Amino acid sequence: MSTTSTAKSDYLLLFRGNVWDRGLSPAQLQKVVSDWMAWFERLKAEGKCVGGNPLEDEGKVISGKQRTVADGPFAESKEAIGGYFYLTVADEKEAIEIAKQCPGLEYGSVVEVRPVADECSIKQRAQEYSNHELAGATA
Amino acid sequence: MLLFRGPHWDRGLTPDQLQQAMDKVMAWFEGLNEGGKIKSAQPLGTQGRIISGTNGRFVLDGPFAESKEAVGGYLVLHAANLNEAVEIARSMPTLSYGVSVEVRPILAECPIFQRHPDLVQRASERAVQAEQLWVAAAA
Repeated sequence: MSTTSTAKSDYLLLFRGNVWDRGLSPAQLQKVVSDWMAWFERLKAEGKCVGGNPLEDEGKVISGKQRTVADGPFAESKEAIGGYFYLTVADEKEAIEIAKQCPGLEYGSVVEVRPVADECSIKQRAQEYSNHELAGATA
Repeated sequence: MLLFRGPHWDRGLTPDQLQQAMDKVMAWFEGLNEGGKIKSAQPLGTQGRIISGTNGRFVLDGPFAESKEAVGGYLVLHAANLNEAVEIARSMPTLSYGVSVEVRPILAECPIFQRHPDLVQRASERAVQAEQLWVAAAA
């Protein structure tokens, strides 16, 4: 693992809440739309945001052994994920500082900051089990 | 975009069961990849932060690590339509272990912005005007 100051880490910002525009005045909306576009463009120009997309409100949720398909997520929800940014930044601190600049925050939007992992933690655990087994076999 | 919810599906599985499940997941993923269906995919670290409030004044640890709702990773598909994405999601092996999959169409433009096209138009015009002024000033 690199320990130089140029090491970069990837983070995902998940924007939660897809109805925070309700009840805003046209002037407030104008400002938040302009601020959000400017924020995204600046982060892209700085090379800190390498991608991002809004998600359609409608979707499907699949669960269970029967693979049940339900409409979802809940179209109007404070928890629903409305979109994401993919960040490449120095560390978690920088990712949090960027999240704090989200123009939707003052209207009730919530930002989840998550590190992007190189490898699934469950796969690592399975690997550890099988290493353990191999070690046991050769002991 | 497929969002995988419930990152602790491996709890309670024996090492053999876990190995079998992981083999199925890897085969599923490789099959999709070879079929050119995967645009990007990453697991997420289970640690993260939740930012809320004006200027992000609340920073909490999250998401709730034990939650069945927590997003454990994502996969961006090349799919012809929502039906194809749902069919791919239904073939995901860990559904049998309690994971649920949220299928969400990715948009080029935010639904909140779409609800207010006049504002977006004005915001873009202002951005162009500002750039023109800047170019004129620099000339």
